[in-house]
Amino acid sequence: MTEALLQVSCISKRFGGLKALSDVSLTVNAGEIVGLIGPNGAGKTTLFSTLVGLHKPDSGTITLDGRELVGLKPHKIAAAGMIKTFQNVALFLDSSVLDNVLTGGLLRHSVEDARDLARRCLERVGISAISDKLARDLSFPERARVEVARALCTQPRVLLLDEAMAALNHVEMDEFMRLLRQLREEGLTLIVVEHHMRAIMSLCERLVVLNFGQLIATGTPAQVSHDPAVVQAYLGRSAA
Amino acid sequence: MSRLSPMRLILIAVLLAAAIALPFAFDPRGYAIRILCLALLFGAMAQAWNIVAGLANQVSLGHAAFFGIGAYTSTLLLIHFGISPWLGMIAGAVLGGLAALLISLPTMRLRGHYFALATLAFGEVMRVIANSWGGLTGGPVGISVPFAPSSLAMLQFKETRPYYWLMLAALIAVTAIFVAIRKSRLGYRLRAIKENVDAAEVIGIDTTRTKIIAAVLSGGLTACLGTLYAQFQYFFDPDTVFGVGSISVRVAMIAIVGGIGTAIGPILGAFFVIPLEEFANQIFSAQAAGLSQLVFGVLLVVVILVEPRGFVAMGQRLARRFRREDRS
Repeated sequence: MTEALLQVSCISKRFGGLKALSDVSLTVNAGEIVGLIGPNGAGKTTLFSTLVGLHKPDSGTITLDGRELVGLKPHKIAAAGMIKTFQNVALFLDSSVLDNVLTGGLLRHSVEDARDLARRCLERVGISAISDKLARDLSFPERARVEVARALCTQPRVLLLDEAMAALNHVEMDEFMRLLRQLREEGLTLIVVEHHMRAIMSLCERLVVLNFGQLIATGTPAQVSHDPAVVQAYLGRSAA
Repeated sequence: MSRLSPMRLILIAVLLAAAIALPFAFDPRGYAIRILCLALLFGAMAQAWNIVAGLANQVSLGHAAFFGIGAYTSTLLLIHFGISPWLGMIAGAVLGGLAALLISLPTMRLRGHYFALATLAFGEVMRVIANSWGGLTGGPVGISVPFAPSSLAMLQFKETRPYYWLMLAALIAVTAIFVAIRKSRLGYRLRAIKENVDAAEVIGIDTTRTKIIAAVLSGGLTACLGTLYAQFQYFFDPDTVFGVGSISVRVAMIAIVGGIGTAIGPILGAFFVIPLEEFANQIFSAQAAGLSQLVFGVLLVVVILVEPRGFVAMGQRLARRFRREDRS
């Protein structure tokens, strides 16, 4: 096996009577863009939250570069280099865009250095023009991009994007995918949850499919889209 | 935060000069200058409270605990060992910070009303302890600061003016600390916690540690101010320094009325609330028991109803309206 950066083994998570994740195992190599797909309620967001330490799994292990992450608080996992964005976008609403992004930079830098880094991150994500606006006054797609910039400002090794492209138009989406490919070239590893199939098919070399908390398929986009279990999960039994 | 513009610097210098010269306009042995002293002291307390409540939105109603610890620590050290209140102040700050650490641990995960109630209880526990542990504190009878000749070293003066300058210095110092924190990493982290705890954690902020650091700073500073209060009043009892109404709620109210989270808010609040309270006392205390508190309370409620974010927000709203009228 070549340089597995993130190793998830047999993760299970139960919320009361609901088994949100059962025995999910996943390996992500350095520099990969992995797509995580599945119907609504399949457990994608729960998996992300568990990876970054917001939920503690009932069983299983998560290692990043050989280091066990289960039981660590989210800020420790961030320091280790794994960050997620929130599906419903969690910005600091009463702060400016620049301050939002800057706060991410404080993980590894002083306020001044973080401010410089934040400006560069805003530029990369293409939202320098709104850096002085209050986060509260932004549209949803703008907010999502601020959150990506903030995550980048922590200088992660693994970035988990939870529907960051939702509500982007085609032009913006192409721009955004170009950015993600560029980040990958620079050594960032990405796991992307996305409902937009065109985007995910062209972006990812590997897809992982979750359904009812279980991993039901993994492979290239072409393989996965012809997998009977996947077709059934998306379209129902009769179509299989 | 942008750098201070020359205009603002000049304004601050003029205000400072006026504040230093102000006591010469009053009878040095009079009542008014004592009110000014208390307003400065309570402004400083509200500013110390602002570090936790304003920046991290952890609204504490238990700051009397730290204040009383400061007052008792320096006074007891002075009575029993003749130790200068300056050293007593440092000892009080250490104990106040420690108390803040202790109260932080169990209340850390509480937010909003729950945090406020837990801290309120903590302040009350301290009051009950001080009342019942007569051997140490003198109990409900209170405790007197032993008389010493006027000197800065023993933090005691026959005149009121030196106290005024001392309290002014305290207010400036605490305000400077507040502003420095707000601009620092700690300030950004506290604001992140205030606005979204989960997001703050996920992007690498140790939210527990950050809250504890802020609480310890705030508690330690409040304890220092307790020492100043003791030296100023010469006499106090558990109900005054550990009181909910006399300290905890009053301090919170001052900052809220002025503008929570802003540097100028607690100062405006203190110079509104403290004189108003005295004024209400003077006019109405002869009429009927409790009438002065009622009038005072009603006025505060009106302020909060008109602008819950305090005078600062009220001023900003007015400024915006004037600017709009200028343009049209």
